[in-house]
Amino acid sequence: MPPVSLTINGRSHGPIEVREGLSMNDFLREVLGMTGTKFGCGAAQCLSCAVIVDHADGTSSTTPTCIASATDFNTLAIRTVEGHAKSGELTPLQKSFVAHFAFQCGYCTPGFLNEGQVLLERLERSPIPRADLERTIAEALDGHLCRCSGYVKYHQAVRDVVLADPKRFLT
Amino acid sequence: MRPSRRDFVTWVAASGIMLAMSRIGAARAAGFDASQTLPGPAAFRLPGATAGRIDALAKVTGAKLYASDFRAADMEGWPATTAHALLLRAADATHVFTGLDLSALDAGARPTQVVTAQDLERAGVRVPPFYAGDLLCPAGKTPLYLGQPLALLLFETFDAYDRARAILREKAPARFGAETGPVAEPNYAALRFTRVAGDAPGVPDVYSPLIEGWISPGVFEPGGRPVWQPLPTSEGGQYKKGAIHGEAIRAFIAAGAPDMLVLDRRFRTQSVDPMFLEPEGGLAWYDPQAKALRMVLGVQSPLEASEELAHLLGAAAAGFRPERIESHFAHLGGGFGGRDHTPFPFYVALAAMFLPGHPIRLAHDRFQQFQGGIKRHAFDMHTQVAFERATGRMRAFAADHVLDGGGLANYSASVAAVSATSAIGIYDVPKVDVTTLAEHTRGVTAGSMRGYGVLQTTTALETLVDEAAQALSMDPITLRRRNLLKAGGLTMTGNPWTVSIRTPEILDKLEGHALWRGRDEARKAAPAGSLVGTGVAVCAKDYGTGADCSLGRVEVDPQGHIRIFCDAVEMGNGIGTAVANRVAGLLGRRADAVSVARIDAFDELGLVTSGDPYTLTQAEQDAAARNPRWVPAISSATSASIGAHVGTQAAAEAARLIFRFGLWPAALSLWGIAQDDPRRFLWQEAFWFDGALILSGLPPLQQEKVAARAHEMGGLTGAMAHAFSRWAWAQAAFPLDGFEWVVDLDALAVRRGGGAFKVLDRSFIAFPPASYNRIGTSFTSSCGTLVKVEIEKASGAVRVSRAYSVLECGEVLTPEVVVGQAQGGFAMGLGYALLETLPPFEDGPGNGRWNLGDYVVARGSDLPLHALEVEVLPRVAPNEPPKGMAEVVMIPVVPAILNAIHDATGHRFRALPVTPDDVRRVL
Repeated sequence: MPPVSLTINGRSHGPIEVREGLSMNDFLREVLGMTGTKFGCGAAQCLSCAVIVDHADGTSSTTPTCIASATDFNTLAIRTVEGHAKSGELTPLQKSFVAHFAFQCGYCTPGFLNEGQVLLERLERSPIPRADLERTIAEALDGHLCRCSGYVKYHQAVRDVVLADPKRFLT
Repeated sequence: MRPSRRDFVTWVAASGIMLAMSRIGAARAAGFDASQTLPGPAAFRLPGATAGRIDALAKVTGAKLYASDFRAADMEGWPATTAHALLLRAADATHVFTGLDLSALDAGARPTQVVTAQDLERAGVRVPPFYAGDLLCPAGKTPLYLGQPLALLLFETFDAYDRARAILREKAPARFGAETGPVAEPNYAALRFTRVAGDAPGVPDVYSPLIEGWISPGVFEPGGRPVWQPLPTSEGGQYKKGAIHGEAIRAFIAAGAPDMLVLDRRFRTQSVDPMFLEPEGGLAWYDPQAKALRMVLGVQSPLEASEELAHLLGAAAAGFRPERIESHFAHLGGGFGGRDHTPFPFYVALAAMFLPGHPIRLAHDRFQQFQGGIKRHAFDMHTQVAFERATGRMRAFAADHVLDGGGLANYSASVAAVSATSAIGIYDVPKVDVTTLAEHTRGVTAGSMRGYGVLQTTTALETLVDEAAQALSMDPITLRRRNLLKAGGLTMTGNPWTVSIRTPEILDKLEGHALWRGRDEARKAAPAGSLVGTGVAVCAKDYGTGADCSLGRVEVDPQGHIRIFCDAVEMGNGIGTAVANRVAGLLGRRADAVSVARIDAFDELGLVTSGDPYTLTQAEQDAAARNPRWVPAISSATSASIGAHVGTQAAAEAARLIFRFGLWPAALSLWGIAQDDPRRFLWQEAFWFDGALILSGLPPLQQEKVAARAHEMGGLTGAMAHAFSRWAWAQAAFPLDGFEWVVDLDALAVRRGGGAFKVLDRSFIAFPPASYNRIGTSFTSSCGTLVKVEIEKASGAVRVSRAYSVLECGEVLTPEVVVGQAQGGFAMGLGYALLETLPPFEDGPGNGRWNLGDYVVARGSDLPLHALEVEVLPRVAPNEPPKGMAEVVMIPVVPAILNAIHDATGHRFRALPVTPDDVRRVL
């Protein structure tokens, strides 16, 4: 049983011995009890299980956890929905989701939150023209399924974070 | 039989098993209760207008909230380790099941126990009548339906479970023998709804279901299909009268008089999955020492699940029969009807009973959810309509519906009835005859799903009306307007709608919208290689079931904090927020704690019930009602769009009483208004603004000061209420401060100051008459939709480029939630029209191989995210109550898309979904 060590939301975990083939989703939910990351389809189609992976070069991306092995995450640094708010302060994107009533049942929210956060951080590093904003958001979020909301408010919530601070995100 | 121990908050004796809907000792459930009581810890709270939904902070921070989030270690007082169960299902329903071959499982993947039908029989498990059919298919029988459970495998470790499920996915363990063909079972329902109006306005109906009762033919062909003709047989007695009228209507249409346009069309809709994002899951622990079964579940129908679990185990053998069942109900990751009366909790309970002492979790993965979850009924519809050419008026309507109910009865009969009685939509038609047949098949069980049959029949109707308009050379909106059912007009069951009818305004809105006015120009201006079309459709959808209950408890503390308990379930519908907002309007402050899905917090009401609220006679109701604790039903499923209208009712009435008999007297005291001052009667003139109570000419009073004074005075500071509606609220009078106070409730307990709740005997009760059970529906809300589509000729791809939906729902409790429901309903409607489908039988979800790779639901890129306009009409009067709206917003989307496709292509599609291949073939 290979050991897994990784950083989750800034905190080191491991080494923890895991069975070969244990999914990262089950590692989070069954081994660590971190159920904020959801299980939706097990086929990387809905992305309710997506977490943020922070890369060494300072960039970040999301990845589904339902079809990935826990061992694939050895040495990585990830963020989950539980780690966005700091010291009782929600992030601007979390606040925007709340203010927009972006979600209904909320089961897809962790995935949308992670994807939206990665997008905001990308735009902060590489701002885009205002004219490209809606398309960029749509492309970023399109992999995520939501059965309740019709997506409109999620997109508006992300957009409004950008528009609230255009110098930070837009060229 | 009621226990006297005070630490059992609520008990219901059922099947000899005590149902503790909640907590044996508060401490053991404290963690779970806290997780479900929102908005939750103050650490993340946001102020004022940005506070959002009551459940927003929990959901945006990943708090444990859903049934699938909980493990044994999360439950106080439970053993720490969680075992896991795997439910194996049949992918074959035409061959004899001969047993399981688990030899593919190596030592590290073997279950601790395999539970089969034989084990259930040995244990004495009973199947509740609503779910009639083997819970596990016995070896030697052909499975009743695809996806029927075969066995429960129980594993003490997650690793063993996880390995086994991976192995068995590759090597299916079920073995089958001789071919038998599908198992033949009786169909679920055959009903006929016929109405013949009087020959002039105001003249009583000649025949209607309201007058004569609902009828069923009672005579069947050898193959199980009903014989609809009026046969002179004893079984056909009552039926014959209606059938003679019905056949006359059909003869009139068939005659095809020259002054009539007759359309005779068939329409087919597909089966789909609710596809709520959280697959069904549950946790249970049978504690053999305490003989208690403890569960964590996520269902739309908590009381029903609890009672049926008691029935399941009520006659079981020693060791399999708990003395009590304690159920905890969590928030749902979506429902859409698919978790209303689901059999899933039975398997969670059985897993625990067969592995006593071990908390055990059963959770579907997505393949299993497709294979075993409740589906939407596929419909075949044959519709014949006669329009008077000169006026466009619908003179006669006949239809025959056949529903695929799948393997278990579930809600098939109800869906058949609701869809049939909605078959003429928003229109006034003097002669109507609709037959409906819900069939048993070997498909996955169909049941409740958003739209509840009305989606299917409205799609057929609204496309047909569009076709009629074209044939009559009339504007489609004009034709609709000419046929509208108006206030006081009678529906096809012979009763009027008893709520506001807003369809004229909705048609006006649609007609005046730029999308509609510009449709001809848009078609002509289609880009090269594309076709453009615009479509319209309008729908009315019932809300409520005709036997709807609401439980609500509201408490105000001396600091003005408000705590609310209600039995409605939060599945994304925003019920927690709606109830908080409705109470806030009455008590001046948004709730500090809202606890939903609580059926345990109403013990002091001492409610009892008997009989079936849908079938009891007036005499039975009158006799039962003499007991002041009797109500026709205790708690309803959160379904049928009842959230706003029903789910908030009891809490709202409770809050109204707290204001009138608690806060208002306190305010009078603070203002120093004397007993003989007539202003003490102006309580309805007072209102809350920015946390203060305002009455003209007097200084504003801060809510917390009023609350404190109410406590000091021993005024009413808490109320616990039950409401019942059968197309009208039951009304009762209760003795309060010298008044006989009439409210839309049938049971009430109150608390004064910091005292305990005490039940009040009602001094008067008026339950809605039993005859109202013959009504199809009298509560409806309406919605109209315009859709513009752009079709790529080369591929046939249909893109909805712009849309407008206009709806009405009485009082809007949470505007953002209402708009969000409309946007979500649009997405689901678009998916139903263009994307989603489940084939029947062996190629369908029952084969266990379906997942989201094959089943396509709408993504953001499928929707006009920045061109979807939603308008909500203001309520007609300040006291118009909220109306249900979560279903109606989905329905017109589908026919509007089909009508838009016709506008673009000239072709009418009469089967769903319309795929790019379908479109390409007709271009």
